[in-house]
Amino acid sequence: MMNEMEQDWLDKKLQEAAPYIEDDGFTARVLRQLPAPQVRFQFLRPFILVAASALASALTYVLSDGGRFIIVEMFKVTTIPTVWVVGFALASGMLVMAGGIAAAMSKSGQIQS
Amino acid sequence: MELTDAGLVARVLVDDDQHAYGELVRRHQSSIRGLLRQLTRGDIALADDLAQDAFIRAYKNIRSFRGEAKFSTWLYRIAYNCFREDARKRKELVGINEEQWQAEQDPQTVDAGLRHDLMHALSLLPLHERSAVLLCCQNGLSHDEAARVLEIPLGTVKTNVLRGREKLKKTLAAWAQ
Repeated sequence: MMNEMEQDWLDKKLQEAAPYIEDDGFTARVLRQLPAPQVRFQFLRPFILVAASALASALTYVLSDGGRFIIVEMFKVTTIPTVWVVGFALASGMLVMAGGIAAAMSKSGQIQS
Repeated sequence: MELTDAGLVARVLVDDDQHAYGELVRRHQSSIRGLLRQLTRGDIALADDLAQDAFIRAYKNIRSFRGEAKFSTWLYRIAYNCFREDARKRKELVGINEEQWQAEQDPQTVDAGLRHDLMHALSLLPLHERSAVLLCCQNGLSHDEAARVLEIPLGTVKTNVLRGREKLKKTLAAWAQ
């Protein structure tokens, strides 16, 4: 009990011995010495992205003879044998399922740890 | 409504808002400068230079603040590292500037004689004990937070605080009665 009181007394005196120090221009001096804020062009990012996508689409359209290859490829798809389509659907289903199981196992491992 | 430290840090991170950083400096300047004054044994000019350096360093490295500890704890750590690097450069710590130190103290709140003895007793403690006592007993950090600031194990902090306190109590025994 006595020891605790002594401890409190010491802590109190230590805290009193550290009075609040007035700013007196300290903050202003620090701010003057900070590196200048970087000029950021973040607001331009979406515009650049949209412009690049539009340009790429236009180029693709022009260079592919008006998108004729799409019609050709679509025709090829319609002529694929049914067995191939079933096989492809099965394979992609299993791939997605395996990915889901792996993600669930990894997540449950994280939660347990 | 006043923004929290975390809110101000977010503004600095997202908008590079120097006004928000100025508010953080204003909030913490007293405790950081106070700690450095004690660590430098009352060399106010050196302590303020180190504090300035610490705040500038904190601004430059604010992206490395992950919010795991309080912002003030992170600042204490930077300030303590600044002090340690400077002390290493100087090889030995500067001596106490008694006159300047006394002028800074407010005789109304604590008896000037007791304060003088307390500061003298503090300055006699080895650096590792002084730092631990100042952080835990004067600045109210938990042992865990002090361990982060000083980059030493928790048990060592507890030992240093205990030993430092014992020495201070012995030196100031007459005042405690």
